[in-house]
Amino acid sequence: MYQFVLRRLLSGVLLLFVITTVAYLLLYAGGGDIARRIVGPTASEAQVTLKAAQLGLDRPLLVQYWDWLTSAVTGDLGRSWFNGQLVTTGVTSRVSVTISLVLGATIIAAAVSVVIAVWAAVRRGWVDRVVQSVGVLGHAIPGFLIALGLVSLFALNLKWFKATGYIPITTSFGGWASTVTLPIIALSIGCVASVVQQVRGSLIDALRQDYVRTLRARGLSFNRVVYKHVLRNAGGPALAVLAVQFIGLLGGAVIVEQIFALPGLGQITVAATGQGDIPVVMGVVVATAAIVVAVNLIIDLAQGWLNPKVRLS
Amino acid sequence: MFRSKRMAALVAAVALGLTGCSAAGDASQEQSSATLTLGTLLAPKTFAADQSEFANLSPFYQAVYDTLIRMKPDGTLVPMLAKEWKYNADKTVLTLSLRDDVKFTDGTPFDADAAKQNLDRFKAGTSPDAQFLAALATAKAVDATTLELTLSAPDPAFLNYLSKDASFMQSPASFAAPDIATKPVGSGPYVLDTAATVTGTSYSYKRNPEYWDKGLVHYDNLVLNVYGDQTSLLNAIKSGQLNAANTIDNNTLTEIEAAGYKVNPLQLNWSGLLLFDRAGTTNPALKDVRVRQALNYAFDTKAMLESIGQGHGELTTQVFPTSSDAYDQSLDARYSYDPAKAKALLAEAGYASGLTLKLPSSTLLGNTIPALITQQLKDVGITAEFTDTGNNFIADLLAPKYGVSYMILEQQSDWQLINMKLAPNAPWNPYKYEDPKADELINAIHVGSADEQKTAAKELNKYIVEQAWFAPWYRPQSSFVTDAKTNVEVQTGNAYPFIWSFTPAS
Repeated sequence: MYQFVLRRLLSGVLLLFVITTVAYLLLYAGGGDIARRIVGPTASEAQVTLKAAQLGLDRPLLVQYWDWLTSAVTGDLGRSWFNGQLVTTGVTSRVSVTISLVLGATIIAAAVSVVIAVWAAVRRGWVDRVVQSVGVLGHAIPGFLIALGLVSLFALNLKWFKATGYIPITTSFGGWASTVTLPIIALSIGCVASVVQQVRGSLIDALRQDYVRTLRARGLSFNRVVYKHVLRNAGGPALAVLAVQFIGLLGGAVIVEQIFALPGLGQITVAATGQGDIPVVMGVVVATAAIVVAVNLIIDLAQGWLNPKVRLS
Repeated sequence: MFRSKRMAALVAAVALGLTGCSAAGDASQEQSSATLTLGTLLAPKTFAADQSEFANLSPFYQAVYDTLIRMKPDGTLVPMLAKEWKYNADKTVLTLSLRDDVKFTDGTPFDADAAKQNLDRFKAGTSPDAQFLAALATAKAVDATTLELTLSAPDPAFLNYLSKDASFMQSPASFAAPDIATKPVGSGPYVLDTAATVTGTSYSYKRNPEYWDKGLVHYDNLVLNVYGDQTSLLNAIKSGQLNAANTIDNNTLTEIEAAGYKVNPLQLNWSGLLLFDRAGTTNPALKDVRVRQALNYAFDTKAMLESIGQGHGELTTQVFPTSSDAYDQSLDARYSYDPAKAKALLAEAGYASGLTLKLPSSTLLGNTIPALITQQLKDVGITAEFTDTGNNFIADLLAPKYGVSYMILEQQSDWQLINMKLAPNAPWNPYKYEDPKADELINAIHVGSADEQKTAAKELNKYIVEQAWFAPWYRPQSSFVTDAKTNVEVQTGNAYPFIWSFTPAS
């Protein structure tokens, strides 16, 4: 097991290295005249040259990359070109916001999906048909429209939640809940639609297996068979779907964070890419790649726990 | 039992969440009289004073940095860190007498040497406004409270610049601080609360307890929230999370007013065509004043204001603002919509059979404006050819790659405006067009007495309107909205009201 984890960790580090190297070279090679953009169109050439020198952009690309890489491994990702903040500070302070959204949405989606999927798979008939139709609808409506609808109803009209802004959980749990509930719901709806379909399919397949009949014949209650045995068997594929959804939600969070003015990775990504703030974009790339690697590792471990055969392979 | 325990925990958590929710709501209500929460559209790139900017970013800096001179909302200049100032006879030496009771928040005293160092740094720095101090030859600290500034040539806007980012005073002890971009050290009315600030998103300030002018500080706390997205800004306003904000455009004013906010109108810009290529370098037709005048007659500016500016604004044909000495109300109607006259002028100039103009477009402009321009020009026999410049719109204009372009430009004070759009070396005169009569008038404004300056400014304005250097359509209304608890005086010539112009309504 340790070897398995170690192997996955090493491949994760390698993946991080490849992703960041490619991203760095692509971003810097296509960065254009960033110094001019920072100082503005009416600044003099001397100001542009001074700015480029301040940012170290007057050095060869590979030298810049080597400096970035050697600093990055020590945890120093440089400073934002546009607000002077340390990239690590900017990114880490925002990771918690995005993670709380994405994790919240994933947990809610997982819980809700399982309940709905079991209901649909066991009851079948009209229940199943309704669940499937609603699922298609959940897929079809874009997340930002759901977010706008939620803000309009629950924040602007009913005033139950905050329309914009973020209150850290350390400041006030209630305040935090009032700022993240709507974004989490907005994010989780599309996710539920996907996971329900997957779990429902796996459950229907599993319910047809011989061992279900055997267990029932031995006198186990239907609920016990479904929740203790069938769900565990259907859990593997569902986890894989959840992992994909989690990673997909990182992208979905970009728009939702904009709509709710949440200081998450999405917001910093939009601002930094729009401005050409490459150190920050690189920081986001590193953070997202690390999250993706970590999620995949966790899912592998969870699948190993659910299904011992995975560990052997 | 186990099940009910879990249920109890869940109920408790939900209850906690709900009570916490309402408690947080109440807390923000209680704080509102002591906290001013403002919505902004941009975040500052850095807090380093030598790289600072103004306009929409002014509140971020004004909260922490004092200036030598303060500009009141109507544009008059009053003392701030400088108690008084005086020019010599030829307006090349400015002597300022400074306060002796001001300290930066790190304890460093403010004196003439600190002021000198800040001005020198700003001039040599990378602020987009560094050219404000272009005329400053030397700054000298005569003694602790006397600062002598020698100018290479008179600059009628110099005092004006000293009320803006050019004279933001940062503690010299913090010049080399590695974290100055995020931790400003000034002597301003507020101190940035870095622990409660999320750089790029939300900036929290606390009252500077040792501020030298208590009369300028009206709130205990100041919060500046940045909204990169129009929807989130509108939602924040409609849900009452902001005391005041500037709006991206006038499309949402009805909704904002319905939410109980007051609209404080201001005019900052003019909108219309820039006719850069007055020498006919790229298009010989533009050299003929009749062609440029025809372009002024060709547009139904009232319809343009209705369709693009939702009717919020005033028609004009001049680029100087109403607050300017150069402004002449009669000029606003110099060219009324008259396609027949436009055609006649084009025919007189030898373009009866038509003319082609190349213009730049950008997604920033949307599709409506190029379509309207194309249609209106077509009506007088001019073919408009638009080229998409992508993100290079401004860079291409200033390069210069186009003789004509649609643009919204700021209406600054006279000398600033002249140096931005009219003078031979002005950045928005990219073809470096020179005209002896205009140059003579500009020179009179540069070195003349106050009366001569006023007369020359009026004459210059009339001349460039007659010569059709531009084809302005209207001055769009900008809007700054305030809630019922907040009063504000909008600032002449600045997109954002100055930080001390906000007061509690009660």
